[in-house]
Amino acid sequence: MAADPKMRFLVVDDFSTMRRIVRNLLKELGFTNVDEAEDGAIALQKLQGGGFEFVVTDWNMPNMDGLTLLQSIRATPNLKHLPVLMITAEAKKENIIAAAQSGASGYIVKPFTAGTLSEKLNKIFEKMGQA
Amino acid sequence: MSANNDSDDLEALFDSIAASSVVAPEPLKSVAPDPVASSNADNDDLQALFDSVAAKAEVAPASPESADHEGGSGEGWPQQEAVFNRIGHMARALHDTLGLLGYDKLLEKTVSALPDAKDRLAYVANLTEQAACRVLNATDIANPLVDEMESGAKALGERWDQVFANRMGPAEFKQLATETRLFLNEQLPAKTRGTHAQLTEIMMAQDFQDLTGQVIKKIVALAHELESGLMSVLIEVLPETKRTEEVASLVNGPVINAEGRTDVVVNQEQVDDLLDSLGF
Repeated sequence: MAADPKMRFLVVDDFSTMRRIVRNLLKELGFTNVDEAEDGAIALQKLQGGGFEFVVTDWNMPNMDGLTLLQSIRATPNLKHLPVLMITAEAKKENIIAAAQSGASGYIVKPFTAGTLSEKLNKIFEKMGQA
Repeated sequence: MSANNDSDDLEALFDSIAASSVVAPEPLKSVAPDPVASSNADNDDLQALFDSVAAKAEVAPASPESADHEGGSGEGWPQQEAVFNRIGHMARALHDTLGLLGYDKLLEKTVSALPDAKDRLAYVANLTEQAACRVLNATDIANPLVDEMESGAKALGERWDQVFANRMGPAEFKQLATETRLFLNEQLPAKTRGTHAQLTEIMMAQDFQDLTGQVIKKIVALAHELESGLMSVLIEVLPETKRTEEVASLVNGPVINAEGRTDVVVNQEQVDDLLDSLGF
């Protein structure tokens, strides 16, 4: 895989357990540079601080949900290039379409497996490599 | 709904409503309620009626004896009459439904059980969070142990490969034999015991399921009672056109039952197919 193992991830989820699971899975895949945020508002603040290269976010969160976070990222010139992978329990087709139209780089529906996360990350890295 | 009610019943109901809820400044003659006509009233009318009754309830109530009069002289009060009529229908439907089905008692019981249900759900959330933490802690401890076993075995294996390739002196070989013996007799069993302990911890962390299962069953039963009670009331009271309206939202949480639904995906494959089909 071409991805830099030092790549800095931001994992956004309001449940600490899910943040921890995603963090552990990323570690298994070789990515140890991971920070966490518990909702979209905190995430956006951290992202504006700079230094992040990848965002993994839940959808349903207090204060600012994942879709709004995604839209905010795409609307911010210095953040809009960031890959955003959504990992969410929201499984309506409307949700998936809304996420795709808002510029999500990938969509994983919970419950998910380590294999799915790895596959989607690789797919995103491939696209980034081509760009 | 109430279109089949006979006029006598409705009139009696109207009487009781008028008698119990209002005191009139002047007598009001009522027209016999026409159940068919009023059950056909549309939503806008209903809303307008509610508005009008809200505005006038304090100033222009009907008198108890007025309802005894059939037909006639209530020309100044057509709006109020329609309102009372309508409310009469609704109150009757509500009362009958609850009474006949025994839901009056049931709802009372259910409402008193709700604070308890809230506590129970908090308990479930608490236990499941604890369990998740215990499991994640256990894997955090076990993972390095397994890694050490792997790397230790690999290192020894590589040195044994050198023995078999005739690239090791007797002193080194002796050292390797000693270290291998130590690894097999002490390091490896200690680490497998440690890993085993964490596997047991992970197993034991699942004990929440028994407790939460019981609690959730109780809450599901409670919710079911409440739902069926409220549903019967709603079906009685809610106008036809309101029944099929769905709440459109993008924040619904996990799909609990996808059977028969075409608006949701049930697995990652379907997510991918959908995105592919849209060209994303």
